[in-house]
Amino acid sequence: MKHFLRVLTQFFVFLYCKCLWRTLKFVVRKVTGRCELQRICYNNKPGARRTLKIESSLKYSKNELLQSAVSVHPDKVEKTIEDIMTLKKINPDTNPQLGISLQACLFQIVGYRNLVLEVEKLRREPYDCENPEHEEMLMKLWKMLRPETPLTGRISKQWCEIGFQGNDPKTDFRGMGLLGLHNLLYFAEHDKAAALQVLHDSLQPKHSKMSKAEWEKKKFDKAIGYSFAIVGINITDLAYALLVSGALKTHLYNVAPEMPSLVHFQQTFCYLMQEFHKFWTEEDPCDIMEFNRVRAKFHKRVLKQLKHPDMTLCPHFAASDLHLVNL
Amino acid sequence: MAAAAGVNKQGTAAAAMEACVRHGRATAGNTVKVLECGVCEDVFSLQGDKVPRLLLCGHTVCHDCLTRLPLHGRAVRCPFDRQVTELGDSGVWGLKKNFALLELLERLQHGASNQSGMMEDALGGAGECIIRCDEDESHTASMYCTVCATHLCSECSQLTHSTRTLAKHRRVPLADKPHEKTLCPQHQVHAIEFVCLEDACQPGPLMCCVCKEYGKHQGHKHAVLEAEANQIRASILDMAHCIRTFTEEVSEYSRKLVGIVQQIEGGEQIVEDSIGMAHTEHVPGTAESARSCVRAYFADLHETLCRQEEMALSVVDAHVRERLIWLRQQQEDMTILLSQVSTACLHCEKTLQQDDCRVVLAKQEITRLLETLQKQQQQFTELADHIQLDAGIPVTFTKDNRVHIGPKMEIRVVTLGLDGAGKTTILFKLKQDEFMQPIPTIGFNVETVEYKNLKFTIWDVGGKHKLRPLWKHYYLNTQAVVFVIDSCHRDRLMESHSELAKLLTEKELRDALLLIFANKQDVPGAVSVEEMTELLSLHKLCCGRSWHIQGCDARSGMGLHEGLDWLSRQLVAAGVLDVA
Repeated sequence: MKHFLRVLTQFFVFLYCKCLWRTLKFVVRKVTGRCELQRICYNNKPGARRTLKIESSLKYSKNELLQSAVSVHPDKVEKTIEDIMTLKKINPDTNPQLGISLQACLFQIVGYRNLVLEVEKLRREPYDCENPEHEEMLMKLWKMLRPETPLTGRISKQWCEIGFQGNDPKTDFRGMGLLGLHNLLYFAEHDKAAALQVLHDSLQPKHSKMSKAEWEKKKFDKAIGYSFAIVGINITDLAYALLVSGALKTHLYNVAPEMPSLVHFQQTFCYLMQEFHKFWTEEDPCDIMEFNRVRAKFHKRVLKQLKHPDMTLCPHFAASDLHLVNL
Repeated sequence: MAAAAGVNKQGTAAAAMEACVRHGRATAGNTVKVLECGVCEDVFSLQGDKVPRLLLCGHTVCHDCLTRLPLHGRAVRCPFDRQVTELGDSGVWGLKKNFALLELLERLQHGASNQSGMMEDALGGAGECIIRCDEDESHTASMYCTVCATHLCSECSQLTHSTRTLAKHRRVPLADKPHEKTLCPQHQVHAIEFVCLEDACQPGPLMCCVCKEYGKHQGHKHAVLEAEANQIRASILDMAHCIRTFTEEVSEYSRKLVGIVQQIEGGEQIVEDSIGMAHTEHVPGTAESARSCVRAYFADLHETLCRQEEMALSVVDAHVRERLIWLRQQQEDMTILLSQVSTACLHCEKTLQQDDCRVVLAKQEITRLLETLQKQQQQFTELADHIQLDAGIPVTFTKDNRVHIGPKMEIRVVTLGLDGAGKTTILFKLKQDEFMQPIPTIGFNVETVEYKNLKFTIWDVGGKHKLRPLWKHYYLNTQAVVFVIDSCHRDRLMESHSELAKLLTEKELRDALLLIFANKQDVPGAVSVEEMTELLSLHKLCCGRSWHIQGCDARSGMGLHEGLDWLSRQLVAAGVLDVA
């Protein structure tokens, strides 16, 4: 019986997708005299709500022009908008706002796609010791995080102080490539205070619940220090997963007025770092071995937050830094 | 040169003679019968009746025949040409022996005896044959006159050297007879007295005083012949000594070989028992004892196997019994359920046929019945959901031949190693068969990997320096440790080594299997498995536990399954792996 119901539901969903939905669209169009895109633009406020709907509308359209609009090159966005207007027989003079709104939405959609590609490219680029640019970035990271102490050498025990696994940070950039380094550097550079705070906290042996003496007796102190750099790389992985899965669309469509760029992604990373740090402190796990559990929990929480279309993962950046859409 | 030619001629003559002797022997056996008397046709002998004597005409007739010839006054006539030979007072005895013939005869006989009787020669020692007196053939020489260069017996020696001058001749016993001096081939009158020591002259080092002073060896380093010869003799003696000891060694060795063969084969040996009665006793050889050892081992093994088989069968029997009991119980329950349901149905049917008042009255009872029915139905569906009806009894065997009933054997494995060695990569490669560059592991990852009929629960613990003290929390109940080493990082091998050494001292890991993955074998310049074993001195380090080193490459997955194979072989009896 259960099984039968399930099949029936599936069948109706299929039917709805195939015919009913289109019929409904057609009827509504005839009644209101507006096409779907128009309806979306007029009924939703700008941001993720509007852009997400436009995106799905375009994606499921039966017209090839609309289908291909989501993957068009940024330079051709304006031209595409004009084509859509003529195709849908919308008079630009009577609907002056529509073109602008559509264009903004399309820019966001295309921008997100390009951002995924850009981030993927950075992630794929391995850290190269021979490349002076890469080396310079690494040195800069050290200078930002440890302004007082000079680095004794390219390969040094000191890297462990900021939370790399070994003497050579290169090995830790395996999975995330340059993306990890870029993110860490951006965090250290643009949100210096927060970064230093996180680093400082991470180096403190945690003994909130136990007395210090008891702590020392257990000799945990060496093992527990939240490693800033590799946690950063792990959070980069988290942010990357969010981006690729499309979950970050909500946030980025709300935050970026036009094309979301790498800066937006990096800001998101900064926010996630701080949030994770807070979350970690709240969770108060008994040792570092629980990292993956905490991380999974955090991931779930962020995903849940992003389900809400008005959500922005808003870091406490200065307003000028944030190119928030004027609502 | 002339002398050499002479020697050569003699050589050819001797050869011809030998050929002749062989011919003789071929026709008439062992004795030489070439030279025979023309009258009686008897063979001449060296002495006695058949001695050949010369007649005046030159013919030779044996002594015996001569005595039988008719005398013509004091003369005999030759039987061949009838010439007259005058006889002296001593008659036939006065006639001269034919010495040429005798000598020839002697030589022939000597040659024959040389040919036929090597044994006699050998017995005579050093090839020395009897030397006859030069004066009288019938005497055996015992001394040698150095002046006359003759062999003499003591009698003849006194006889021939009776005059005053001759008596002064130095005569020595035959044993001390000086060797004859060889003459120099270049200067025939001079004997060879020196030996040249120059390397260039080694093919012909002999020289006389003329050669030494004026000849081809002029100014060469030299030694006296006798001294040199003595030296060589001494060295030959030395060599002989050496050879003797060598021979002794060889014979000793072969004796030993014989002994060993006997020991291996075993056999009969004569043993005297306490009463002194000798009787043969069979002594078992090592071959036999080895055989009996093998037999004993396999008999033991057989017994153990039988016991294990019985035990395993009893386990299976117990399982089957339990299962059957449970199933029967279920069967009974179902029958009861069925009867309950049918009673309810009957009741309902009865109610249907009753009049309206009764139906209304029975309403409460019916609802109660329906409720219980529904409850039972619910219970039933729940039960049916939970229980999988499967007649199969999957069986696995552990290494020690115990039986395990169940679809999969579970094994807890901990993966350890330095940071960046490739633990997480290996884990994901095994899990999803895809290669991905992992991010540094903070804490741990845990995955279950199913391989053949084993279920590995693999804990992958981060290798970061600070995390290493926390590894110990994962040791409990761990059946196997997988230690991953980065083969292309030579400078970190020692760090790996110290971590591994620390790991092996852990009490909780005492019985754990150790699988070492030498990862990243695909990278050029990676340390090979053999070299790694050497470098980490694994044989010493892992002494007394079951361990295995496996080269692998997480990128292509090469070697990973071989490693798991090894693990499963250690835990599960090999032959039945593919059963499930």
